[in-house]
Amino acid sequence: MAALMHCRRCLYTSAHPLGLMLDAEGICSGCRVHEEKDRLDWAERWQRLESLLAPYRSRSGETYDCIVPVSGAGDSHYIVHLVKQRLGLNPLLVTYNKYFNTSLGIRNLANLRIRFDCDLIQQNVNPHAVKKITRATLRDFGSDYWHCLAGQTVFPVQTAVRYRIPLILWGAHQGLEQVGMYSHEDEVEMTRRHRQDHDLMGREADDLPTMFDTLKESDIWQYRYPDDAALSAIGVRGVYLGNYVRWDPKAQHEQMIERCGYRTAAFARTFDTYDHVDCWNYMDLHDVLKLHKHGYSKVTDHACREIRHGRLTRAQGLALVRRHEQAAPQHLDKFCEWLGLDRSGLGFLLDRHRNPRWWREAETGRWAFAGASTTAGEAAGVTMPPASAVFEANDVLAHDGIDGYITIGKGHP
Amino acid sequence: MLEKRLIGVITVKDGWAVQSIGYRRHRPLGRPEVIAENLDRWGVDEILLQCIDRDAQGGGPDLALLERLCRRGLSTPLVYAGGVRSVSDGVRAVQAGAERIGIDALLHDDPHLAAELAEPLGAQALIAVLPLSVHNGALAWLDHRSRLSTPLAPALLDVLASGAISEVLLVDWQHEGVHEGFDERLLALWPMPTQPLIAFGGLSEPSQLRGVLERPNVVAAAVGNFLNHREHAVQRLKQSLAGLPLRAATHAPLDPARAWS
Amino acid sequence: MSGARLTIGVVDYGAGNLASVARAITGLGHRCRVTRDTETLAAADAIVLPGVGAFPAAMASLHEHGLVDFLRQQARSGQPLIGICLGMQLLADMSLEHRLTAGLGLIPGRVRPLAGARWHIGWNTIEIDPEDALLSPSDGQSLYFNHAYAFDTPPPYCIGVSRLADAFTVAVRRGKVVGLQFHPEKSQLAGRLLLKNVIEGLCRA
Repeated sequence: MAALMHCRRCLYTSAHPLGLMLDAEGICSGCRVHEEKDRLDWAERWQRLESLLAPYRSRSGETYDCIVPVSGAGDSHYIVHLVKQRLGLNPLLVTYNKYFNTSLGIRNLANLRIRFDCDLIQQNVNPHAVKKITRATLRDFGSDYWHCLAGQTVFPVQTAVRYRIPLILWGAHQGLEQVGMYSHEDEVEMTRRHRQDHDLMGREADDLPTMFDTLKESDIWQYRYPDDAALSAIGVRGVYLGNYVRWDPKAQHEQMIERCGYRTAAFARTFDTYDHVDCWNYMDLHDVLKLHKHGYSKVTDHACREIRHGRLTRAQGLALVRRHEQAAPQHLDKFCEWLGLDRSGLGFLLDRHRNPRWWREAETGRWAFAGASTTAGEAAGVTMPPASAVFEANDVLAHDGIDGYITIGKGHP
Repeated sequence: MLEKRLIGVITVKDGWAVQSIGYRRHRPLGRPEVIAENLDRWGVDEILLQCIDRDAQGGGPDLALLERLCRRGLSTPLVYAGGVRSVSDGVRAVQAGAERIGIDALLHDDPHLAAELAEPLGAQALIAVLPLSVHNGALAWLDHRSRLSTPLAPALLDVLASGAISEVLLVDWQHEGVHEGFDERLLALWPMPTQPLIAFGGLSEPSQLRGVLERPNVVAAAVGNFLNHREHAVQRLKQSLAGLPLRAATHAPLDPARAWS
Repeated sequence: MSGARLTIGVVDYGAGNLASVARAITGLGHRCRVTRDTETLAAADAIVLPGVGAFPAAMASLHEHGLVDFLRQQARSGQPLIGICLGMQLLADMSLEHRLTAGLGLIPGRVRPLAGARWHIGWNTIEIDPEDALLSPSDGQSLYFNHAYAFDTPPPYCIGVSRLADAFTVAVRRGKVVGLQFHPEKSQLAGRLLLKNVIEGLCRA
């Protein structure tokens, strides 16, 4: 196995699951692409976006110009603000029900729909299929999230085909933002190949029944990508606004908090309070699995982003990572109850997915961690982030006092 | 009628498929086998798998990758390049599943040994990979290991004239990854008018591809980075190249059983 | 898919990677046995003979594994046999590649260098004899070729040609022995359909 290489500027390593290239100066492909954010003429790029979108504007006003995939977190508020208010498009919002929903996420999603006065359709795959799939993916490749990733990435494409709306507008491209998979100037668009390779960890819907005896076609067909002929006939295209707008999630969220009523919550496992507030698992069970499998977790993604935006030094980022990444998960019981697992069974699965490259069982039940942060160098002494990098929460995940998975929310007009 | 070809290139570094810019900078793309399967589904005419770090690692062809890729049972012809140092390396690569192989470093070190590969494999299975640039109005040939360029060696041209190697992949290495960057002077300055050529490096637009494929001695155009930026990139390029003797675009049905219903 | 599932034996005599051939067969819904065991091959509904590299080495390999007499016997007894690329050339009486070498002699004719061209590489159209029920649906289709030698065989056995400057044989048939110069397993949809027609046509006749 090749030696682990660290980027000298951010905290990513050559073991990044999306791939990471380091150049002769020891700077990673992600940092190099990030440099473009301060070099490109964003006014010119906005014009390019306007030209690209022009043919998709409906003249009649009786149809949707585009589809925008949304959730009760992420950059959804900002994306809808751009699409509706700055670009003047008429979007159809689509969302996939992850089942792990917090009441804050339900509230934010309602806020999104109401505040921006948009139409929204939601896909709820039946719970029996979702649980069957999740049991299989969790056991076999340590993924509690396959159904979420599959559903979130395919439902917008299926909707585009079914409703004959060719244009799908996404926010930022994760591969570009994290590891510099593409230059902004490549103007990369959505592809089935990228979804299969990265979002779905190589396993498309039709691969699952082959892998798992428990799954049949009737359990997975909802996650199947539309075929090439259908995509081509409609002219489906997925465009990333992040190629045309200088993407800065912290600044964008703060704008949405201030002007559009977006609400946020704190997490034990990271210092960012703006994203992932719609899910009980993402910054909890899912994040622990990430640490076990990949030797780093979401707080590193947040730190790298803030380092690249110049709001944290590398040493400050490392201090925050070390402070948060071993925080204990708090919501495993909810997951166990939902899936019908017992706690020790889940614990066993979690341990099974510890990658020996990062974990050593020092004594029974006690694990020594040798992940990325342990060889990343010197951390800053002070563990509080500087003022520019502070994230504040104005709510809690259990908004409305409801502490549990909410499949379908009520009480929002 | 024999058609011209659109070749999809997968560049591999450290086992990872990458975008390669100017033979210098690299951006991670994903797993080579997933990209190969995608190009297969899109109906590209050939797939070129080039492993660019093999010589540096002194390890010969990446047979493990080749086998892993071929195990998926691609229905598109595969060309393998990277680390072929000997006749047995070439034979092993073909045994592992490549239809044809590309040779680069070996042509600098021992072009006559490269020609010997034609014995077990046939000249039709051999491609000379030549990274070229224009220097003082003449062609300069890059050795990617030393990063030095020299004029085309007489020994190389002799081997090509003997017919031991069927095609030459002319790589505009400086403009690799540069939108619309391919320098047609490389084709104009090429000294052997009857040698079949494949153009590669900075070919992104239909108008360039048309210009290159209209030349009588150009049998194929290869595209790497630019096939990864959009859905159905191969089909779109082929559709915009209608009128050229190129196999038409296809949209394979998701369910193969539908093909004959 | 109409009809029962067939079992196709693919001769594994060291002639390279057979994953594409195997997948082409299983993709059609049939079982595939990649083997050099003569019992398994004899029990199959049809035998596919692939081939890579040069004629003399391939024949030497077939002799080494005791497959020459076996394949001749099976073909003469009426078991369907499909030769692909070099596998088609092996069906001939002899080849001039490198040195004069005897082939399986199942279809009269000899293998000689292409005339007017040093090699045949890429996708080319095939022209099929309209009388041949197996291949005529593929007439005019584009398939992938990669060879430098061609099989010369008289009219009843030549059922398909392609051309560069001149035409040359690319498909042969004698009874239930079929040879294909191109790579149907590397010719995407056109290749799959052709292979389906040949395999199912031969086995269900």
